[in-house]
Amino acid sequence: MNRDEAKNILLLYRPGTADDADPQIAEALALAQRDVELARWFGEHCARQEVLRAKLRQIPVPAGLKEQIISEQAARRKDFDWRRLPALAAIAAAVVVSFVLITPWLQSLKSDNTLAVYQNRMVGTALRTYVMDLATNNSGSIRAYLGQNHAPADYVLPAPLEKVAVTGCAIESWQGMKVSMICFSTGKPLAPGEQGDLWLFVVDRAAVKNTPSAGPPRLARVNQLMTAVWTQGDKLYLLGTQGDEQTLRRYL
Amino acid sequence: MADGVDFEGLVTCHYQPLYQFAFSLTRDEADACDLTQQTFCIWAAKGHQLRDETKVKTWLFTTLHREFLGARRKQVRFPHVELEQAAAELPVVSPTPLHQLDNAQVLAALAHLDEIYRAPVALFYLQDYSYLEIAGILEVPIGTVKSRLARGLDRLHQLLTGGSAIGSTAPRTDL
Repeated sequence: MNRDEAKNILLLYRPGTADDADPQIAEALALAQRDVELARWFGEHCARQEVLRAKLRQIPVPAGLKEQIISEQAARRKDFDWRRLPALAAIAAAVVVSFVLITPWLQSLKSDNTLAVYQNRMVGTALRTYVMDLATNNSGSIRAYLGQNHAPADYVLPAPLEKVAVTGCAIESWQGMKVSMICFSTGKPLAPGEQGDLWLFVVDRAAVKNTPSAGPPRLARVNQLMTAVWTQGDKLYLLGTQGDEQTLRRYL
Repeated sequence: MADGVDFEGLVTCHYQPLYQFAFSLTRDEADACDLTQQTFCIWAAKGHQLRDETKVKTWLFTTLHREFLGARRKQVRFPHVELEQAAAELPVVSPTPLHQLDNAQVLAALAHLDEIYRAPVALFYLQDYSYLEIAGILEVPIGTVKSRLARGLDRLHQLLTGGSAIGSTAPRTDL
């Protein structure tokens, strides 16, 4: 093995790992101990590896991601408890008529596009460091932008929410459908990097299963946000903010 | 069987490295979050089929990589390039000593690598996986992993410092 061959082999060497168990690497390492120039290159190479490794490991993980994964899974489990499948299947096999009757119900439970999963996904978007497609305080501009991009733009805001300052909007995706995300600022001081503290998501009602029928908003805590869900016309609305039920009701 | 694996504990243990791997592949926070989340969803649905609990981590990384490739194929069919993404395709600028680079520059260089080199290089640095494990995750032969790593590392080094990691094409000035 010559010096260049050893360099090629040691290029894949990471200090502090089991790499030196590789016979080729072990041979190249032995050569580096005898060859001064190779030893110098190898020392620099190890330092470079450490720098690159350290920099890549500093990729920041968004706050709330873990909670979002866990809560979304909990929502899925709530929608469909897999442990019940054998029992349901047995009943269905034994009673064909019953099976026929419950099939549509089972299918609705199996799907991922249920309200609970939608709520979790949208709340996760609000909690993460999202990027607004349009930053503006002009609600007309927001509607125009959403309309131009074929996202829901003909939404109807509750009267108290009309009075809250908008900060911008983004277009999210749900089951291949566009979701309008409108960001508001309630006037409380925002944490650094935050672009709003109240978020409204509007999607076509048909894109989500188990939506509530028309009526007063349903309030529920999802992850770290208090949320309200309601339907109006062909739209499903989801409003979320950090705080309690009373805080959220001010905007409904 | 991996039936007994506690979901919350599994997420706690692995979501960070999985996210970092996803981010190094996609360079987009939302896409990386979705990939990570999707990986755990698939685990919840199919993880019980895994017989050897010690392979959970590898299984998760393999699944994430498969999902990435699947999503990538769709994107290639319907390409949508935004300015920020296109910027990643531009050559990395003037040679800089490695220790002076920030994370964003290293990630930009990684993103500039051809896709077949990016995943092995990310696994190589992020997880200290052995070549055999990387081969298992990426589902390619170990020889392929080694050659992709060698080319990928050399290319990454060229992008970051302007010289080859081997030192034969340009004088070493870094570090």
